[in-house]
Amino acid sequence: MIANTANIRKWLQALLLLGLGFYFLDNMLTGRVYFYINERFGWLSWLATVIFLVLGIINIYDLLRERRNAQIQIHDAHDHEAHDHHDHAHDHGHQHGLAPSWGILGLVALPLVLGLAIPAKPLGAAAIDSSGISTSFSAVQGSGSTTTQFALASTDRNVLDWVRAFNSTENLNEFNGQEADLVGFVYRDVRFKDPTQFMIARFTISCCVADASAIGVYAQYPDAAKLTQDGWVHIKGHFTIQQFEGQATPILVADLVEPTNQPQHPYLYP
Amino acid sequence: MDIGSLVGIFTTRFLGIFIEAISFLLLGTLISGLIEVFVSKDDVVRLMPKNPIAATVVGSTMGFLFPVCECGVVPVTRRLYQKGLPVSVGMTFLLAAPVMNPIVLASTYAAFGWGPVLIGRYVITWIMAMVIGLLFSLQRHPQRIVNPIALASFSGGSGMAPSVSAGRTPLLPGIKQALILAGEEFFEMGRYLIVGALLASLMQTFIAQETLKALATNPVNSVWVMAALAFILSVCSTVDAFLALSFARTFTVGSLLTFLTFGPMVDIKSTIMYLGVFKRRTVIYMIILPLLISVLIGIWLNLNVRF
Repeated sequence: MIANTANIRKWLQALLLLGLGFYFLDNMLTGRVYFYINERFGWLSWLATVIFLVLGIINIYDLLRERRNAQIQIHDAHDHEAHDHHDHAHDHGHQHGLAPSWGILGLVALPLVLGLAIPAKPLGAAAIDSSGISTSFSAVQGSGSTTTQFALASTDRNVLDWVRAFNSTENLNEFNGQEADLVGFVYRDVRFKDPTQFMIARFTISCCVADASAIGVYAQYPDAAKLTQDGWVHIKGHFTIQQFEGQATPILVADLVEPTNQPQHPYLYP
Repeated sequence: MDIGSLVGIFTTRFLGIFIEAISFLLLGTLISGLIEVFVSKDDVVRLMPKNPIAATVVGSTMGFLFPVCECGVVPVTRRLYQKGLPVSVGMTFLLAAPVMNPIVLASTYAAFGWGPVLIGRYVITWIMAMVIGLLFSLQRHPQRIVNPIALASFSGGSGMAPSVSAGRTPLLPGIKQALILAGEEFFEMGRYLIVGALLASLMQTFIAQETLKALATNPVNSVWVMAALAFILSVCSTVDAFLALSFARTFTVGSLLTFLTFGPMVDIKSTIMYLGVFKRRTVIYMIILPLLISVLIGIWLNLNVRF
């Protein structure tokens, strides 16, 4: 049987569905899906994984059966006896719509191609330049309660908890001397004249990276110049209130800064 | 910044929107496939109230029964017309259903949570669909609104639900058929999502946010810009909330609401589909009326309400 291009396109459609299913499965199993979306929507991506795989398998099964039926039909045409087989071949449940065009196939393949060709990487310091970094509460408002961060021991608070705490107080001095233990990536921009100063930054997302915004806590460390931009670090120290660009600002004076692995969940969820 | 890291950031943003939105699109196509196979339209028409206002109210909320997006709604409406649904009720259903349905409610909630955007989207959509539906109910001659070709009964072609006399579709073959239809519809609709996600992530990555800000924060211009974007992008209503979210940090709330109310009713692809059901003159009204109402409400909100 001569394969026309509609048939090829139908096969590509089926293989794309299956491919997307395996791409999603890989994202879920490696946890890379959390480079893209908030943890609380993980179950939806599992759902998408299953639907893609089922759609892919059903499509392939259907194409295989169609091919077998077509062969039976050709066989019958030679064999002028088995008329009942004709009925069987026509009794096919449904008619296929048109196969998707090459343009549609190319577009739907694009996420898969980009996902496989470009190494998966969460948003980092480089992504901040176009949108800016925030130390204010308004940018990190969300469903989370504003009081929960005070219920945590100071060394259990993450960057988001601290930023919220700083922005919900009248008196910054209450943070003077408080200990902190944080993980984040190193961020510096033109505002940082003092080579010992930098920021411990994180991205927060409420839904997916479409709404990502960067937040950070100021830090100070004698060897800070050796820290690479965007590198993940674990930092321990205590806050002192200092002037930064003419504003009273809590700065984390570090006793320890050590490089660490990018966390499994690179974003914080407000 | 080097091009390599820009491409990386763009890819992460693009895949972020794609991965988050795709579950909702898949759910939408699955349900649309199931409706196509299992739901008999006669039942719905029999339950329709005779009073035009009551019928319009029912039409505006029928989407919760038929959870279809703007792409699925046109063929469903056409089939309802063939079964004798009043033209104005069908119009209200057509305009409201892409938003008034549980999947869109879930995706809007996922993107924006419980707040002014979610509430505004539903209130404004309902007002728009009711006003336009009631306006069309003043026209006593449906043949002046609807394209006669659309009303001619057509024999069950590809993917049609079997006629009632043929009985219900058996369960397992029906489910399989619904899945095949869902796969086909996924490709049909997925391309609009992918083009929309491409454009949104390109804008986020390559256009400096300061340049956009002047336009995006203007209470009047921002609304027109988002109305135009909604029309051009033609993104499925089940996932447009995630695109709106990517504009939420720069654009005014009124303009986001215009994007989320006008877009599901009118865009390039739905206009093309409308032309298959309605007369050309009707389609012009179906574009202009939602545009004016949606833009006016958006601008009014920007000028008078603090969010």
